[in-house]
Amino acid sequence: MAVALARKTLLHEWRRFLPAVMSVGFSGVLIIVQGALLLGIVGTNALPVTRSRADLWVGFPGTQSADLGRSIDAGAAAELLVDPRVLRIEPLLMGSGDWRGLRGGGVSVTLIGVDARPDGLGLAEAMPRAVRVLLEEPATVLVDDGDLGKLATAIGGTAEINGQRVRVVGTTRGMRAMGGVNIVASLATVRALDRSLASAGAVTYYLAALRSPDTARAVKTRFSRPDARQRFEVWTAAELAGRSVRYWLLESGAGVGFIFATIVALLVGTLITSQTLMAAVAASIPQYATLRAIGVPFPALRRIVVEQAGWVGAVGLAFGLAGSLLAALLAHLNGIPFALGPGIMALSGGLVLAVALLAGVLALRRLRHADPAALLR
Amino acid sequence: MTAPTSLSASGLAKSYLVQSIRTQALADVSLTLRPGELSLISGPSGCGKSTLLSLMSGLSRPDSGEVHALGTDLGRLDDAGRDAFRLAHCGFVFQGFNLFPALDALEQVQLVLDYRGVPQDEARRGAASALEMVGLGHRSHLRPAELSGGEKQRVAIARAIVKRPRLLFADEPTSALDSVNGAIVTDLLREIAHRSGAIVVCVSHDPRLIARADRVIEMEDGRLRRDSHGAPAPSATEIHP
Repeated sequence: MAVALARKTLLHEWRRFLPAVMSVGFSGVLIIVQGALLLGIVGTNALPVTRSRADLWVGFPGTQSADLGRSIDAGAAAELLVDPRVLRIEPLLMGSGDWRGLRGGGVSVTLIGVDARPDGLGLAEAMPRAVRVLLEEPATVLVDDGDLGKLATAIGGTAEINGQRVRVVGTTRGMRAMGGVNIVASLATVRALDRSLASAGAVTYYLAALRSPDTARAVKTRFSRPDARQRFEVWTAAELAGRSVRYWLLESGAGVGFIFATIVALLVGTLITSQTLMAAVAASIPQYATLRAIGVPFPALRRIVVEQAGWVGAVGLAFGLAGSLLAALLAHLNGIPFALGPGIMALSGGLVLAVALLAGVLALRRLRHADPAALLR
Repeated sequence: MTAPTSLSASGLAKSYLVQSIRTQALADVSLTLRPGELSLISGPSGCGKSTLLSLMSGLSRPDSGEVHALGTDLGRLDDAGRDAFRLAHCGFVFQGFNLFPALDALEQVQLVLDYRGVPQDEARRGAASALEMVGLGHRSHLRPAELSGGEKQRVAIARAIVKRPRLLFADEPTSALDSVNGAIVTDLLREIAHRSGAIVVCVSHDPRLIARADRVIEMEDGRLRRDSHGAPAPSATEIHP
């Protein structure tokens, strides 16, 4: 192999390149952590969807986000059940309440009513069956284990919701939300607590399980005809979850904040990295000029600098990903919503590598000083 | 067909604009250098000797006049053409060594052959034998920080000669060295000229070098003053412009 000048210089003078590597790494961490937190927090609005096991969701036409559901006509269930591909249908209620516990003062809570049967679809991922069946007892609720402190309660504790006494019989996992608190109860309990849902005909969503989940699109299409669309709308679970996340990303301003902070991170990263690379080029000007003297063409020197930039980017990115995984671990241990997916990692990786290469291109300007004739003055 | 080893300049002139004052660095310099000789261009600072080296090696272009090297008119080549010419035929040794801190001696030398597209094994062998030639075969694994000034300049010479250039240019190669190392480097340059038949031209005001050069060309105020053979040369010819 030919002499790896770029890489050997990088290793030999690692102290010189360290600021660039760190700035690339921190830019990466900043973008990933921000993005994952944002997606995690915004994703909490889709928790009723993502923590349930339904293939299809049926709700009010034009619903923008899962947490903004409005009551639909109970007749929708009968219509869907006509389709032989639909295995079963189950209602899910979303209401609101005012929690008053030991601490005094009220806390706004979101009431989620699910079918309490052991194999119920609603929030099936958020609690074990043994806990779910406890809800069959009237006036019992589940609180997320991340919210116990916020509500100053514990399993076995009692409180009032909308003036009615409830008992906490267990906890859910991963239902901690951005705004209010998610309280899970049986359908009957939620109807009793939230008067607006009192009538048996009022249902926020119907959850459908299909015989074969592969048919979800086809079934959805069947019930998306204009006459049906006036009364209810059908989404696959992924659609409704995605719609909820997009709505909050775009409508809440949080997305704009993320974009702005990302631009700042990229700018700072580019600035520090290009300054570091420029200093490295400046320190090697006599050597580069000597190579020019013996006839090494300019593009070959440019390649050295860009290769160094590439290595700085790659090593910085590795640090950034490691830092992000650490952040994900800390978030997980503390029950903080943190959606570290491949999408945000790829986005950040691409941006960070682009930063390093852009910095390398900026540093190329310094190479112009590598004039061999200048060595002779 | 290989052109004979030759390097000549005729009517060279070059001026620089420094802070809006034009300085005439060279005026009407004509010179023919002979192969197999260590030629020394000497003179006080600012006499134009480095400018002459720069023009004759194709590093820069004259305002007027011509440089013919190995049968090529350097003035007719564009930048890329002069790069290619230097890559093929020219070696350089500078006052400041200019070695890469990260590379060991062997790699410094091998790098030149890499850029010439020489295969890896051959490049390593060539680099090793160039280092042997300058007496550093046993030090080839060391980086510049681990070498003395004299050893660094010998690595730089090995780097300059590894591609067996027919034109070797050296700018003040001994001025940063003590007397022993200065003598070693001077003898090396002369030996290279004698053994390889290359044109070796050296710019220096180091009297130790003047004593060992085959030919001494003295400059003053951008013109040639004296051209003498052997040292100290009884056959000196005064040049009257």
